Amino acid sequence: MPSIDDSKPISWAEQVEQVEDGVLPPSSEQYDEEKGIKVVTEFKYNEENKMVKTWRKFGAAERDPPGPNPANTIVQVEEINMQFIHNKEEVQEQEDDPLLKLKSQKLVSCRICKGDHWTTKCPYKDTLGPLQEKLQDGEKPPVGDAPGPPTSQGPTAPAPTKTSGKYVPPSLRDGVNKGRGETMSSKRDESATIRVTNLSEDTRESDLQELFRPFGPIQRIYLAKDKNTGQSKGFAFINFHRREDAARAIAGVSGFGYDHLILNVEWAKPSGTS
Amino acid sequence: MKPILLHGHERSITQIKYNREGDLIFSCAKDSQPNVWYSLNGERLGSFRGHNGAVWNIDVNWESTKVLTASADNTCKLWDCETGKTLASLDTATAVRTCGFSFSGRYIMYTTDKTMGRPCEIHIFDLNDIRNGEPTMVIPISSSKITSAVWGPYEEYIITGHENGEICHYDLKSGDKINSCKEHSKQINDLQLSKDMSMLISASKDTTAKLFETATLGHMKTYKTERPVNSASLSPIYDHVVLGGGQEAMDVTTTSTKVGKFDARFYHLVFEEEFGRVKGHFGPINSTAFHPDGKSYSSGGEDGYVRVHYFDPSYFDFRFEF
Repeated sequence: MPSIDDSKPISWAEQVEQVEDGVLPPSSEQYDEEKGIKVVTEFKYNEENKMVKTWRKFGAAERDPPGPNPANTIVQVEEINMQFIHNKEEVQEQEDDPLLKLKSQKLVSCRICKGDHWTTKCPYKDTLGPLQEKLQDGEKPPVGDAPGPPTSQGPTAPAPTKTSGKYVPPSLRDGVNKGRGETMSSKRDESATIRVTNLSEDTRESDLQELFRPFGPIQRIYLAKDKNTGQSKGFAFINFHRREDAARAIAGVSGFGYDHLILNVEWAKPSGTS
Repeated sequence: MKPILLHGHERSITQIKYNREGDLIFSCAKDSQPNVWYSLNGERLGSFRGHNGAVWNIDVNWESTKVLTASADNTCKLWDCETGKTLASLDTATAVRTCGFSFSGRYIMYTTDKTMGRPCEIHIFDLNDIRNGEPTMVIPISSSKITSAVWGPYEEYIITGHENGEICHYDLKSGDKINSCKEHSKQINDLQLSKDMSMLISASKDTTAKLFETATLGHMKTYKTERPVNSASLSPIYDHVVLGGGQEAMDVTTTSTKVGKFDARFYHLVFEEEFGRVKGHFGPINSTAFHPDGKSYSSGGEDGYVRVHYFDPSYFDFRFEF
């Protein structure tokens, strides 16, 4: 094997040296006599150690200017990296799955166990599921209409509380003090009001309910609607019970893509939100 | 890495090859014009005009002075690399599937397809008397058709890959089959030798690539994928293997393939395990080739693009954990 490799470079090098005396740009060639190894150093920066540099273009490239023709040669601007796969791991492809992205935000919560997955995907579906239903059945007689915001079909959790079996009027229930506090200082709630804009025209109150319920209990939703068509004017005011919930809602929903538009959420100016 | 896209072909690429020094890339496709590019910046040097059909195979001699192309228009043409002129055109009865210069550049071989009642044949020519048009040797193949062929080292035999998955050695002097092995179950798409010619890697439609010892055809390693492998190359400096392949239509609808999701897969030579993938092609990869210095590689795809990738430092720093 080594003998073949030696013989070739010798004759080729001789040939090359004979042909071009001064044409080639400087490049270093070292020929080690003992080992028969030829080391050729090519300078890649603008110089090529070959006669190829002086070759003319032919065929379809005949009329091309010097340098790469942009019709044929494109340097891809986007970086591509080799995805290294380690021994037992799979290649993580988070970007491809929009569902995964949604999961990582705090909008998805299971009704059964409050985890960050959809209810249908809950691992405790068959254990906690029936349990919840039982609790809810027990709740139905005492809880006439659902207090506060209506329970929606979305990923929000209803609150099964006690199973006393007796009807308790809303004014005597848990949170009655909070209610008192609220009615007294309903003015304070204006600071827990957020304005959401850039809504699509077929957004409804129930959509907003679904969207903002995870951040906390909502006091009131006002969706600006056109009187004649009933379509949303593109903005709405959400009143939370607590200011910190409103703050979190701003952080969580601002920039969120909802039905082809990017939502804009901020504190509502105190005037005009009657 | 920022790959350089070479878009010089209108139809799918059939083969790409580097010259011995690595500064030129030769690409041939199902359109009839093979191209030659500078591998450094992707600038096109020229194209070889003259064929009338798909060009299946291309080879360049040691000194990068002559180019040989095998085409479906029943000719195998010899070109001058510098000017693009046709030096010789060898006519055959059927389409020419593979071609190659021998190690010394003295002999060329090409193989023809088995169609229209003609058997598949290996033709060997001595370049010195190419004017005569008389082949030095013609070896008819009675068994399965040859789909890929390379010269063995020392010009003693030719290594052929067949449609039924067989790999054989055919002796030059006698024309006999001196060795064969059947490790693959479906056709061999590509055969490539290692830099020192001691190892041979075969890419097959049966979704594997296998590593053999050239002299004995002893099967050493198998690299498994889940799609047909169209081409496999051995890195000249590391224990790495790159596999290119892919299946269209069927698979595309079941994965979330939007753009550029066909990938070249890198396996470790010894451990047979995949360690990396490079995406980017818009269709199955038909041919892969490492640069002779091992610092870059190219792949040509069904989409007609040749992508030249210069490896990131992370590739050179990568150490396979074992």
